[in-house]
Amino acid sequence: MTEASDFVQDRATIAEGRRRMFRLLVPYLLRNRRDYLVGVVVTIVYALFFALFPKTVQWAMEALVEGEGARAVLWSCALIAGVALLRSFFRFFSRVRIFNAAREIEFQLRDDLFAHLQRLPQSFYFTRRTGDLMSRCVNDLTTIRLMLGVGLLQLAQTPVMIVVALTMMTIMDPVLTFWMVLPLPIFILIARSLGPPMHASNLAVQVGLADMSNYLQENVTGVAVVRAYAMEAVSKRRFDALSQQLYERWMRAVRVQAGLPALAGLLPNIGVLLLFVIGGSKLIAGELGIGEFFAFFLFNAELTMPLFLIGWMFNLVQRGTASMQRVEEVLATEPTIADRKDVLDVRELRGEIEFRNLSFQYPATGAQRPAALRDVTFRVPAGSVVGVVGPVGAGKTTLASLIPRLYEVDDGMVRLDGHDVNRLPLATLRRAIAMVPQDSFLFSLSLADNIAYGLPATEMNAVRRAAARAGLDRDLAELADGFATPVGERGVKLSGGQRQRAALARALILDPKVLILDDTLSAVDAETEAAIQRELRQVFEGRTVVMVASRVSAVRAADLIVVLDEGRVVERGVHEQLIAAGGLYARLARDQEAERERAQRVVAGGRE
Amino acid sequence: MSAPEPRHRPPPRSSLDAVLEEEELGRAIDRALLARLWRWVRPYKGRLLFTLLLAYPLWAMQVAPSWIVMTGLDREIVPGLQQRGLIAEAPPPRDTVGELEWLDALLTPPAGVPVLWWFGLLMVIGYLIAASLEYIQTLVMVSTGQAAMRSLRREVFAHIQKLHLGFFDNYPVGRLVTRATSDVEHLAEMFSAGLVLLVTDLLRMVGFAALLFWLDARLAFWAFVIVPPLSLALVIFRFKVREAFRASRVLLARLNATIQESITGMKVVQLFSREARNQRAFSTLNGAHRDAWLRSIWYDSALFSVVDVATGLITALVIAQAVGSVSVGMIFFFLRAMTLFFMPLRDLSQKYSVMQSAMASLERILQLLDTAPAIRDPAPAPAPTVQVVGVPAAALRGQKTGEMRRPSGEIEFQDVWFAYPGDDFVLRGVSFRIASGEKVAVVGATGAGKTTLINLLARFHEVTKGRILLDGVDIREMPQELLHRRIGLVLQDVFLFSGTVEDNLTLGRSDLRHESVLAAARAVALDGFIERLPEGFATEIRERGANFSTGQKQLLSFARALTHGGDVLVLDEATSAIDPETEALVQDGIYVLTQSRTSLVIAHRLSTIRDMDRIHVLHHGRVVETGDHQALLRQDGLYARLHRLQNKAPEGIVTGHA
Repeated sequence: MTEASDFVQDRATIAEGRRRMFRLLVPYLLRNRRDYLVGVVVTIVYALFFALFPKTVQWAMEALVEGEGARAVLWSCALIAGVALLRSFFRFFSRVRIFNAAREIEFQLRDDLFAHLQRLPQSFYFTRRTGDLMSRCVNDLTTIRLMLGVGLLQLAQTPVMIVVALTMMTIMDPVLTFWMVLPLPIFILIARSLGPPMHASNLAVQVGLADMSNYLQENVTGVAVVRAYAMEAVSKRRFDALSQQLYERWMRAVRVQAGLPALAGLLPNIGVLLLFVIGGSKLIAGELGIGEFFAFFLFNAELTMPLFLIGWMFNLVQRGTASMQRVEEVLATEPTIADRKDVLDVRELRGEIEFRNLSFQYPATGAQRPAALRDVTFRVPAGSVVGVVGPVGAGKTTLASLIPRLYEVDDGMVRLDGHDVNRLPLATLRRAIAMVPQDSFLFSLSLADNIAYGLPATEMNAVRRAAARAGLDRDLAELADGFATPVGERGVKLSGGQRQRAALARALILDPKVLILDDTLSAVDAETEAAIQRELRQVFEGRTVVMVASRVSAVRAADLIVVLDEGRVVERGVHEQLIAAGGLYARLARDQEAERERAQRVVAGGRE
Repeated sequence: MSAPEPRHRPPPRSSLDAVLEEEELGRAIDRALLARLWRWVRPYKGRLLFTLLLAYPLWAMQVAPSWIVMTGLDREIVPGLQQRGLIAEAPPPRDTVGELEWLDALLTPPAGVPVLWWFGLLMVIGYLIAASLEYIQTLVMVSTGQAAMRSLRREVFAHIQKLHLGFFDNYPVGRLVTRATSDVEHLAEMFSAGLVLLVTDLLRMVGFAALLFWLDARLAFWAFVIVPPLSLALVIFRFKVREAFRASRVLLARLNATIQESITGMKVVQLFSREARNQRAFSTLNGAHRDAWLRSIWYDSALFSVVDVATGLITALVIAQAVGSVSVGMIFFFLRAMTLFFMPLRDLSQKYSVMQSAMASLERILQLLDTAPAIRDPAPAPAPTVQVVGVPAAALRGQKTGEMRRPSGEIEFQDVWFAYPGDDFVLRGVSFRIASGEKVAVVGATGAGKTTLINLLARFHEVTKGRILLDGVDIREMPQELLHRRIGLVLQDVFLFSGTVEDNLTLGRSDLRHESVLAAARAVALDGFIERLPEGFATEIRERGANFSTGQKQLLSFARALTHGGDVLVLDEATSAIDPETEALVQDGIYVLTQSRTSLVIAHRLSTIRDMDRIHVLHHGRVVETGDHQALLRQDGLYARLHRLQNKAPEGIVTGHA
């Protein structure tokens, strides 16, 4: 919702947003036009029967009081029942038809939205919070569905109901109709004046609940600290205060809201009063028939609801429009990472990587950030190992992410086997490259399915081999169901090291030409790391390997070491050269050595 | 370097199951559950009774306008019309008002007031009374609910605070938060929109039935004749709606979980080219979700229409049966009364689901409250129950009275065994002693049980066998608060609370003065950094310390431990790599912390280990080697191997290639 304000700035923008929204919506409406057409026609028929019902009661009452005999009364009562049945049937039918169509559009939109999200580049995700995107896929689609379902239904039927009913009432008695409509504006004014205070007090309650949730969340997440520092009494006092605050906010809200039921009864009651006093005099004067009196009474009772719904309907459309714009904003984002028109017909890659004057900047996220990479140029021959080191924030991960084209770069800056990465078929590119990202995200699948994530189907033999190479086999004993154990967010919580090993296995199973390791074994303990390294030596054979590492010693034996600092290549060479050069690399190496020496001094007893 | 030990391996249970569990709805009224709820409601039973008693006066006032119209029609309007021959003659209506003297008096206008105006005035008064009664009823109802919920909330929170730490490993934070917030709100809704209204609705329906049968039993029979089949239809449809709705909600939860996971892991999806397969799976789920809702829509719309048809049929029946014997006013009253009678039935399903989710919430809350705290303080018995040899009597007395009288801070693990429930032993007979003021490190590979040692010493978990002594007293014999005040615990993951820097050091203890906070910050060389912050010690900590580096956070947690004093330091050293400069500061901080305190350190850093008086090497839950650094190296056992690995590991990674 905050996002909406970002791009809805002035009236012209709003109008443009609406236009775009309708352009987006029209194909979906057209695709479901039969349901909507039938639904709208039937709901209008329902509206007519709705307005007809009080008339049938009027006719029956006339037959009764004018002494037309039991037979005539019976027939007109049969008419009442018939109209009531048809009315309900049309209502049922139109509701089902239109609601179904709205659900269908929600389904189609969500499918399309999901497909689109899968095509968007990582730079898109860089600027969005997951919660915001979730809300667009869930809440906004709900609002749109409400607008296209119940909103559209009401939009079609309510005006017809009101117009037909008022016409019938006016034909019967224009003066009485005038008096009965008169309190409506006053009522609307009262109802409206209650809106803002009600909204404010509701908001206060919501904020109170959120405060309480946040406090609880923090208190439970930090429960070890709470206990270790005997904070229980302090916590209880704070929680009690929050609880009291919430109670008081509720009471304030209730004082406003408790008036609602009485207010809801106000309009029909005024109607009955006016009907009785004015209509009663007209009855006595013989200007109004008993039947008409009954019809007026029923109109009064049944029109209350549609009148209430008008305000709600406009609100639905308004919210639906806002939601539609938020969804449209996502759908309008061009999926820049896709096969281009000038795509090359390349099926296989050898694995030579080249960066040529590569500069890269992340999309703006409010604060202006400096370029992540500046004028990076170097070449990695196929089958060699390159180490990328540098301090935190030097651009190492960014550089690695550009090879499989996770972000968009300008043409010619990143090349594989001499081809511009932008012109390679995505399928070829991603098949040739396997990356082990830093955060080693696993899905809520079984461990085996996670390892085989990049394969068309899970082959257990391949899974076992990859797991063994990644040093994951020793963890299997710890897992209750071995490879079948569900992992990921909704499964067993693996340790950081286990997650990294699983992510490594997921990359190795693909037998890639290019293997990218982004600080892959940082959370693995020393013993395991050594074992994996032994395995990896064989794995590296015949592949191009890009190793991103924060520790200098990790890349010591690489064929080429590239040192990055603030997005620039500041040094390159092999370990001995770089040490001899005495630059950043040597300094980083010295710092690590210094740490070790300092430790020695502490043991010797001499503190600085 | 060692990876963080998993504190506990929970049984494989997905949080989707949790979502489904949350969706499980049972009965709308469960007497056993309600009986237990009574505890929190009892203080307000007077108010509750009051709202119930308001039901009939309120009902009477709501019926009044129609009664007045009926009387007006039958007494004042219709007879005149009949006399003038405008409508057909009919037998004189039953003069119900004439049968009740007080009503008769009330409905006789004072001299000079036109009868219709008088009736109109009575209607206005009736509405005003009804509105006020309804306002009062709602107000009292909601305030009662909220007041009861306030006490329930506090009890839930107090209970959460008593539960042992192992509990939180298996109970997701989100669910605990839900217990005290959403679940309690659902329950509160039962008061404002559920139970009381359900009861008052029932009272009103009984009232209508009685009134109509008293007015005209024959007509009432015909009016009510379709109520039983209608109720049956309603029950069937409602059941179907509920089933369909539940299925839809479950699928919605699954859909949301899938979307969230896909967005979070989109990088992996794209890297591994899973888009097409994911799309197919998503589409299937999305379609199942739609289909479930289509079923809900069908039954829900049917439910709407059934009530609709019923009102129409009753209108027809009443008028048809009125021929020749029933007055116009009575017909009017019957039609109006039957509409009002059906009103509660229209939103009965809504109240039903309010009740249902309230019951489900109540059950979950009670389940939480029923979880007995596995770790309790000893009963406050004055006499010492354990006699331990060699304990200074003064120290023992000090603990029993809750004071700290020169405790020495000696720790002893005596044959400590520990297993997480349903799991193998993590610790297998660990015994060692840390003399007062001594610094002892524990090292070992992942899963050796290092962190468990700390959790047991802080009594976050209870030992399975054996015991842990602090100054000769079994820690189970002392109040947890005292234990925790004596132990300064520094955990591996630094947890910062929202609030200021100072709040995070004092942790809300008002007896800690700013000077001691400042001194602690200075001791770990953090004062300079804090003073450079925009508002110094009063700077707000954002998003769990996003504005602090890992090293700074560690130093903050050191300062926290120093601020709170305690004669025992327990430190679980962080494994995460930090830049060398901060690393030096952290090492200095550890040095300061361990001075003049009994210290137990789970060590990962070489420099930390070497500074210790003694090192215990833990392997598969046993202490396998003990000694100082040099001695252990000479021994050339497990420690020596670990040490070699730690120092050389990163170097060999890309050897023998190209």
